[in-house]
Amino acid sequence: MAFDPSSLRPLFPILSQQAYDHPLTYLDNAATTQKPLSVLDAIQGYYLSFNANVHRGAHFLSDRATNRFEQARDTVASFINAPEQSHIIWTKGTTEAINTVAFGLEHLLEKGDEILITSLEHHANLVPWQQLAFRTGARLRILPLTSNGKWEPEFGHYFTDRTRIFAATQISNAIGVSTPLPTMLNYAKQQGAFTLVDGAQAVAHHPVDVQALDCDFYVFSGHKMYGPTGIGVLYGKSHALEILLPYQTGGEMVRHVSYQATEFNVLPYRLEAGTPHIEGVIGLAAACDFLNAQDRLALLAWEQSLASHVYSRLQKEGGIDIYSPEKNTTLVSLSVPNIHILDLNAYLDSQGVAVRAGSHCAHPLMAQLGVAGTLRASFACYNTMEEANRFCDVLLEAIDLLNDE
Amino acid sequence: MTDSLGQQKPVNIKAQLQACRSKEETFKTLVTLSKTLPRLPTEEKTEENKVKGCESAVWLIIEEKDGLRYFKADSDAKLMRGVLVAILSLVEGKTLVDIQKMDLTAELAELNLSSYLTSSRTNGVLAILSKINTL
Ligand SMILES: Cc1ncc(COP(=O)(O)O)c(C=O)c1O
Repeated sequence: MAFDPSSLRPLFPILSQQAYDHPLTYLDNAATTQKPLSVLDAIQGYYLSFNANVHRGAHFLSDRATNRFEQARDTVASFINAPEQSHIIWTKGTTEAINTVAFGLEHLLEKGDEILITSLEHHANLVPWQQLAFRTGARLRILPLTSNGKWEPEFGHYFTDRTRIFAATQISNAIGVSTPLPTMLNYAKQQGAFTLVDGAQAVAHHPVDVQALDCDFYVFSGHKMYGPTGIGVLYGKSHALEILLPYQTGGEMVRHVSYQATEFNVLPYRLEAGTPHIEGVIGLAAACDFLNAQDRLALLAWEQSLASHVYSRLQKEGGIDIYSPEKNTTLVSLSVPNIHILDLNAYLDSQGVAVRAGSHCAHPLMAQLGVAGTLRASFACYNTMEEANRFCDVLLEAIDLLNDE
Repeated sequence: MTDSLGQQKPVNIKAQLQACRSKEETFKTLVTLSKTLPRLPTEEKTEENKVKGCESAVWLIIEEKDGLRYFKADSDAKLMRGVLVAILSLVEGKTLVDIQKMDLTAELAELNLSSYLTSSRTNGVLAILSKINTL
């Protein structure tokens, strides 16, 4: 029996509002998801009953805050099946997590070393590596998706004995394509490269097991998985985290400081300078609890069924270029020849339908696809089939209105 | 000097936009208005004529005759062409001094176009206004 999202709707009251006199249809979930009441309650609960700085202890509230804060680390560790909580580093989000690794590994790179990424990457998983390459004389190499949206049958040759870092997204935010991670990570490991997986677009949809993936680093943002903004996670294997030089220093990350030297704290604190985003951490743990309480595979199947329904409806209409896969994805990314995506977006917006039009922070990928940008409808567990159909109806209306005879 | 506003009278444009009761009506009116903007020939769509900071490509050419400013503009997005028709209707054929005295943001708000100023197109429209206003 198909999953019924109506049981989840009451948990997301923000969705039951009108936008310009139309029911709000929120299909911009790949940008950020809405937050269930349990996440909002957790954040408010923190301020109502245990707000204090963490790890500075020695009083009732601070002990409570510290306990809950460290419990949250356990929750997140088991959410991605990390072996221990010390593998979980709090960051602002995916972007800061990747920067932490890019700066932390800088001391290991030499001129002529190679950093390999794929052509699907969000700027967050591209620019930090490019800048690292500029600073060290390393070479940034790109493993490309071919023009028909497939991977080359033989991409092993991109991994060389100079590959020091391999960083790849699990799922493309712009076109919803998944990367064949097991194969790629295997090649990278054979060359002894550090591996980083950008899970920003995966965590809300797919159960994640970092031990099964066996990557050195796994990064994601809370706000794309029903959690608050401003909090994200850098997971790393022990030796991988140990090797990172802290890219920010200051309080909390130290054990002893004199004017001559500083002894850094142990993991995870060594990589968490300053007072952390405590409410964000508490909220993120609540988001994990929310997802853990669901039948995750049923949610995924539902989200994928919405995307493939939209795909096949629009495919039948014709005249629409679709860049996302037909199946096994939770978003639809498209453009219409001779109609600007911003015009389509404006009409959808006027009807209360929220999608994203643009380059999705992936300029090189857009250039490869030969478009300035795409229109993306991305689904979450609370979206209904009516909403998927409404997107199609309003999009087709927009095309009618904007088509020049 | 070519009349870049076609047959549309500024008063008409104002009345049409002010009559819009919803975002949808404003959208449809802008699409209609966009059709009155003569397209620029490719050779005028240069980097130099491009307004920086717009999400869609916008080209704007200012010509002066007897101290009065006349405008030619184009965009690859239809709605932006409609917005350009509205903006240019406010300033076409005026002196720079007169244009600088105007509160264009407020006038666009009166035309129900605030949301085109506050959305992600903000920088774009502001960049257009600032180009219109400069020497
Ligand atoms: C695949 C991917 N990587 C990285 C990011 C950056 O995430 P954040 O802005 O939360 O740091 C995003 C967000 O859009 C993304 O979709």
